[in-house]
Amino acid sequence: MKLRTLLQILLLLLFALPNGKGAANNDPSRTDGDLFAKANTEFAAGNFKGAIADYQAVVGSGEWSANLFYDLGNAYFRHGDFGRAILNYDRALRLDPHHPEVDANLRIAHDQAHSLELAPSALERYLNFGTANFFAIVAAIFFWLAIIWLILRPGRLLWTIAGIFLAAICGFAAFKLENGTRGQGLAIVIAENAEARVATVDSARSVLALPAGSEVLILQERGDWNYAALPNDQRGWVAANAVERVRL
Amino acid sequence: MEMLRRILFSVLLAGAIAQFARGDSPKITAVLTSSDVVVGETVQLQIQIDNAGTSMKPPSDINVPGLQIHYTGESTQMTMRNFAVSSSITYSYTILPEKSGTYKIPPQSIRAGKDNLQTPELTLRVADSPRTAAGTGSNRPPSGNTQVGEDKIAFAELLVPKKVAYVGEIIPVVVRIGFNSRARVAEMAPPQVSGQGFTVQKLGEGERNLENIDGRSYVIFNYKTAISAARVGNFQIGPVEQKANILVPRRSSGTRRKPFDPFAEDPFSDPFFALPFGGLMEQREIAVKSDPVSLEVKALPAGAPPTFSGAVGSFSMTAEANPKRVQLGDPITIKAAISGRGNFDRMNAPELSDERGWHKYPPSSNFKQDDDVGISGTKTFELVVSPNEKLTSVPPLAFGYFDPVKEKYVTLHSEAVPLIVEGNAPAAPAIAPTIAATSAPPALGGQQKAQDILYQINDRGKIVSSFAPVYARKEFWLAQLFPLTLALGLMGWKVQNVRVSNRAALRAAQLQQERDELLRKLRRDQLAPREYFSDASRVVQLKAALKQTNIEPATVDAETAARVFELNAEQSERMRRLFATSDEFRYSGAGNGESALSSDGRRETLELIESLS
Repeated sequence: MKLRTLLQILLLLLFALPNGKGAANNDPSRTDGDLFAKANTEFAAGNFKGAIADYQAVVGSGEWSANLFYDLGNAYFRHGDFGRAILNYDRALRLDPHHPEVDANLRIAHDQAHSLELAPSALERYLNFGTANFFAIVAAIFFWLAIIWLILRPGRLLWTIAGIFLAAICGFAAFKLENGTRGQGLAIVIAENAEARVATVDSARSVLALPAGSEVLILQERGDWNYAALPNDQRGWVAANAVERVRL
Repeated sequence: MEMLRRILFSVLLAGAIAQFARGDSPKITAVLTSSDVVVGETVQLQIQIDNAGTSMKPPSDINVPGLQIHYTGESTQMTMRNFAVSSSITYSYTILPEKSGTYKIPPQSIRAGKDNLQTPELTLRVADSPRTAAGTGSNRPPSGNTQVGEDKIAFAELLVPKKVAYVGEIIPVVVRIGFNSRARVAEMAPPQVSGQGFTVQKLGEGERNLENIDGRSYVIFNYKTAISAARVGNFQIGPVEQKANILVPRRSSGTRRKPFDPFAEDPFSDPFFALPFGGLMEQREIAVKSDPVSLEVKALPAGAPPTFSGAVGSFSMTAEANPKRVQLGDPITIKAAISGRGNFDRMNAPELSDERGWHKYPPSSNFKQDDDVGISGTKTFELVVSPNEKLTSVPPLAFGYFDPVKEKYVTLHSEAVPLIVEGNAPAAPAIAPTIAATSAPPALGGQQKAQDILYQINDRGKIVSSFAPVYARKEFWLAQLFPLTLALGLMGWKVQNVRVSNRAALRAAQLQQERDELLRKLRRDQLAPREYFSDASRVVQLKAALKQTNIEPATVDAETAARVFELNAEQSERMRRLFATSDEFRYSGAGNGESALSSDGRRETLELIESLS
């Protein structure tokens, strides 16, 4: 009975603490709120350029939300900048993977831009029921349960090994997702007529023409060029100013 | 040190000789500089023998009716790569067709050491020409347009294999600049092919050969390039004018030149040449000029296929597509390789024969040339397409070109590639646009959109300040302190428990040891009554403490023992008497006058003690 109570407390603490800051920030500053409302008004009035500037100012304040990036993406879409529209929809999805409006508008933007999307690997497709955060938390839970079980029942090693094994699998899943096509390296082509090339010079042979809004996975940064995995399963150098990482 | 150097030199020399000695077996190749010529136009036959030995005799007389074939000389080339020495000999012949037709130049046999080498059979197609190339008064009989300057010290030659061509057709051109082998070229820029109405590709590096012409040895610089006619008409190619600085031996002062004819005498007949290293050289600038070559350029015939984009030549095409299992909208890369001979620079990517259901992206290309001037090679196109609907195959690619030999358009088709397209078409948004529909003007020049984005959301929602994954944040690792603390607490508790149980076990072991020692003493039958009863009661106390661990042995009396061991009345009475006797001996020094203990009494007492469990 005692043990169960202890575990319940542990789980509560584990989930509650990371969100503490977010909970504390639920009351944004009035200036940012006003700016956000002003941007919405400008958008409704058809002043998309003004709306973009105001949304960007809110983004610059560092207080982000899925809805903010979604609205910014809509403003870029109306402005005809599909690359940045897709970039901001993707950012919204990073903050809220189950945002239905973002999902719908992102699909429309991809269709309009005829942009290329990275194909997830087979493993990523299997793991798409969870996020990297989910797997990281589950890995931590399995790890500590295994450790506690080892302390309480040192003779029952099988359960401990099973717990450690599950923790390792979940950790690996988190790692794969974090470094996969939806992970930290994901970037969106924001320039028109961008091309991936075989070398870091503008005159180098083109590997793939990348329409705005196309996804690339940045593998290495070198000066003004990024080495990236491309949607056609090849790799090439893309000008750094032609792409922008989804993750801020 | 000197000895070491000699050894090293000997080893290197031996290695080089060994490499040379164990060189590959001789190989022979024979090529024509052009397999399509017109009557009166010369073409070169070159027979090259690689890894050749020293004793070889070239075929001096090649007889083909309708062709004049003259042996013009040989050149030898030796190369050393990674201490591997290889040599090659090239025998050159000039062929002058006398009439049109297709000629077969039969295999020629050359004996190289123990090997008997044979050239392949070559085919030469000779076409009639309304303007049969006439001799231009060249000093070099087999060539058509040779301009020899400075009385055979140097000459320039422009070789164009065709007199009639189509617009866009690539025509190989060779510029030959020859110098008498006794002169040394000090400086010479690459020649330029002048003319209007055609484009000239950049000249490649000049190949240097030694040829024998009219009994004189010439160093020939062969510059290869290609021209492509840009419009219809009659054009003149060249002449090629070339200036060079050469070093020729200085004449001896006693020899007088004839006025106004400085080269009437052979400058190399000077006795100076008897001592080639003993005299000085003088530098001279010379200019050589080739004859121009006329070219008639015809328009491409009508009836070009829709896939024709300007490619002229002879080509073949292969194509492959990957991946072959995709989701709707996923990109598929089609690699199309077009190989052959022609104007690759004006070649566009092949097209899908059926583009319905496909979205195309701009193709990329890469050209890998097989020759020096880029006339032949392989151009690889990468086309990225994505299916908009469920399709079962990637349609064949179509590529059209004009074949100047067959004088007709040809369309190449690749094979269709089977494809599996999974997934469904993206669904239309379920929520109708609100603000966007009313307030947003058309964003893309008034184009009608198939789908429109959803409305703005005025609520900012949950605020976050980081995109980093949870495990990259310090809160996550701080949270781990709680289970860590819990684990450490549990571990401490377990250690404490173990320590406690260890103490109890130690106490029990001590009690057992004392009990066993006392029992051994009691069984020996030699103890005095006082000591015997004291030890017997102590054994009872120890056994009681071992059975019930929370009891101290010294506190056990007869009643406690009876309760712990659950004794019956008779055993309780005996136990009480045992403890009473022991107390009497302990406190009075004697047991009610008994000075000795009977053996029956000892046995009964021992049985009582041993029955306790």
